[in-house]
Amino acid sequence: MGAYIVRRTLWAILLLLVVSFLTFVIFNVFPSADPAALRAGRNATPALVHQIRINLGLNKPFYTQFWIYLKGLVEHFNLGYSYYNSESVKSEIFSRMPATISVTVGGFIVWMLIGLPVGIVSAIRPRSILDRVMMGTSLVAISAPVYFLGLVSLFLFAKGTGQLQWFGAAGSYVPITQNVGVWFNSLILPWFTLAAAFAAFYARMTRGNLIETMHEDYIRTARAKGLRESVVITKHGLRAALTPIVTMAGMDIGLLLGGAILTEIVFNIPGIGRYAYDAIVNSDLPAIQGTVLFGAFFIVFANLVVDILYAFLDPRVTYG
Amino acid sequence: MRRPIAAVAGVASGVLALVAAGCGGGGTTSGVQGASHTLAGGKKGGTITILSNGDVDHLDPGAAYYQFTYAITYVTQRPLLAYKPNSIQPTPDLAASMPTVSNGGRTVTVHIRHGVKFSPPVNREVTSADVKYAIERGFDAAVGNGYAGAYFGVIKGAPTKIVNKVPSISGIQTPDKYTIVFQLTKPSGIFVGALQEPLTAPVPAEYARKYDKGTASSYGDHQVATGPYMVQNNAAGKITGYTPGRQIVLVRNPNWNPKTSWRPAYADKIVFKEGFDPTVGTKQILSGQADANGDFPPPAANLKQILSNPSQKSELEFTPTAGARFVALNTQKAPFTNKYVRMAVAYVLDRNAMRLTRGGAIDGKIATHFIDPSFGNSGFNQAGGYGFNPFPSANNSGDVAKAEAMLKKAGFKSGKYSGPQITQVADNTPPGSNTAAVVANSLQKIGFNVKTISVQHAAMYTRFCGVPKNAPNICPNVGWIADFHEPQADLDANFDGTNILSANNVNWSQLNDPAINKLMAKAKGELNAEKRWAEWGQIDKMITSSAAAIPWLWEASPTLYSTRVTHATELWNGGEPDVSFMSVK
Repeated sequence: MGAYIVRRTLWAILLLLVVSFLTFVIFNVFPSADPAALRAGRNATPALVHQIRINLGLNKPFYTQFWIYLKGLVEHFNLGYSYYNSESVKSEIFSRMPATISVTVGGFIVWMLIGLPVGIVSAIRPRSILDRVMMGTSLVAISAPVYFLGLVSLFLFAKGTGQLQWFGAAGSYVPITQNVGVWFNSLILPWFTLAAAFAAFYARMTRGNLIETMHEDYIRTARAKGLRESVVITKHGLRAALTPIVTMAGMDIGLLLGGAILTEIVFNIPGIGRYAYDAIVNSDLPAIQGTVLFGAFFIVFANLVVDILYAFLDPRVTYG
Repeated sequence: MRRPIAAVAGVASGVLALVAAGCGGGGTTSGVQGASHTLAGGKKGGTITILSNGDVDHLDPGAAYYQFTYAITYVTQRPLLAYKPNSIQPTPDLAASMPTVSNGGRTVTVHIRHGVKFSPPVNREVTSADVKYAIERGFDAAVGNGYAGAYFGVIKGAPTKIVNKVPSISGIQTPDKYTIVFQLTKPSGIFVGALQEPLTAPVPAEYARKYDKGTASSYGDHQVATGPYMVQNNAAGKITGYTPGRQIVLVRNPNWNPKTSWRPAYADKIVFKEGFDPTVGTKQILSGQADANGDFPPPAANLKQILSNPSQKSELEFTPTAGARFVALNTQKAPFTNKYVRMAVAYVLDRNAMRLTRGGAIDGKIATHFIDPSFGNSGFNQAGGYGFNPFPSANNSGDVAKAEAMLKKAGFKSGKYSGPQITQVADNTPPGSNTAAVVANSLQKIGFNVKTISVQHAAMYTRFCGVPKNAPNICPNVGWIADFHEPQADLDANFDGTNILSANNVNWSQLNDPAINKLMAKAKGELNAEKRWAEWGQIDKMITSSAAAIPWLWEASPTLYSTRVTHATELWNGGEPDVSFMSVK
């Protein structure tokens, strides 16, 4: 087990390096804006643009820039400084993490609380009216873009802009340490918006997996032994059906910890997703690089955790 | 040109404004349309909240160069000159009176007010040496000011090379604590106007110098204020009221003396909340949760709803943006080296369809030359006002027959262009991409085969249209907003042949017409304002007639207020709310 974790960790580091390098290449090879010219403004002389380019280190070949970046990252855990406003990317990402964690973890709890029960109910009553209604609703939820769903929820339920002014408005997010009540209220709509698509997807996946599992021989054996149906479903059926769901959940959490971009934009939550969006709009490479690396780290880390968890959920999995 | 909010609009909604016919009462030819609110007698106290989509560019007054940022800079800093709401006339701010020009235009003397003090932790009175240092640091690459060379490069001893240190400029003299004298290398008709730029706001050298060291100044994070408000800070001067991308909190500057200022500064606190989707932000303003829009225009759908509701309509104002959108034709590259080919393009462009790509009439008036209506008698009327249109067509939809006639003059006997394919570099997102498609379709009518390269808006400028060696035949998505209401600030950078640069070039047409250059050189040194504006009006006509670039839109910018505050709109700054004149009712 120890050797496996070490090997996977080394692969993870290599993967992060590749992701980082690719971001650099994309920014340099494809026609993106010149950060020095953007920083200098339209009325600036070429001399000023040139000097700013030197100050930002952009006059060096991109592989040298990449090497300097890596060195800073490894030696000082320095993610660089924004071209746009000179702020430390690391500080920005860390200061925004609580907001993103709040959105992601809350959203995850909501989508699991909705998705799993709906999936189970649909699976044990396949082709019933309840199943069709639930799966139909899921399809609608999956199809509705987060951006659209977010705006609709704001115009229906948010204070100030909504028809029923129940929940916090866009931009009302405060850190949990500042005011728990306001924090909770400001996140209800983002949680449900984020959870809508995921819950629907998880419901459909749980249903499919569980239906398949319930046709396995060992389920028939369990029933033949006289076990109660609830025990058969929860102890024998669900355990196997949940394995791929855990994989997906791990990857989705990792992805969202890198920034739930659309949700954070619509609800104006100052998280990493919002930061990534602003960085793209401003052609701010260090910020883009930082958020990509951060997102990639969580995805890789979540994959690692999921792979380890597999052993506990599925006895057939071993670590070689 | 400072960064306009139109850049944000392009991303957010692509719709800006409204023509005179559809907007609120009290409209004028050149001023803020719908502005009928009194600026005096406001109630003291309360908090005003402004919403924005993006962030400021730089808090540092020496680096700030963005329309939205200026809404904050001008109430926290005091440049020598500034503007009152609904006005384009510069008014002494830190200066005690308007500058005096002597020595044949080569000497400009400014007396500054007594009793103006820096905010904590500096706390001392402002002197002329602080203005000198502020301008000098603008030439330091660590500060990275975008216009110091363009407007202040004419001062004797101003650096011609860019370095990473604050230079000493011999042509800025401070004979006493309250007098600053600028010695210029030649007369400049624009210099006095440029004294309204935030670069002239005082900076205390003994405090700022340590932050200006290195390759990037951090003075913005420690800045002190001279205006009625300051960005909230701690006892050491470190800014605490700014969280990038989230909010900026302005509080009263305890050292501001109202007797030295014409700003009423009614509100106790101003909060700029950032990161708002324009649709959500508009709804919040309408509901009274916030008080005005900062860097985003309300989206077209919202504007139409607001205009159909009388009570909401009265909270909306429209301001000309002091510039034009235009299509630049590369005059150094065939086929647009030929004037008649350019004129054919000017005739055939469907400017009405182009405007529709940005929302139609709600976005502004179709431009027929460059100096926009907000200049009024300081250039617009001299250029022929609304009456000057050298390339007219029915409904502004293009005139194929006249275009073909021009092509025949250019040597294309059939009246259709039969040369090689031409290239345009355009935005890759709407509305710019749609505008470019209209341009290509229009040109197709007279035989052109246009290849469109689509890139990010900023890349279009910084990698292609602004770099002559990479410049395509056509740049369909360019535009310019004057930094202040002097026609030189509107036309010089874009069309003076001596301004063509190897990089960061904004003479996108690469127009280098000796007659235009000569008249520009004369107008730049003209000190008599009436004569100067007449000359620039003539220059505008010459540029437009040359068809090196084809103007197609004079935009207007909508500002929406909540019912809980009074209105105060900056005509000089494209409709930004002037929070120092707004009050809570």
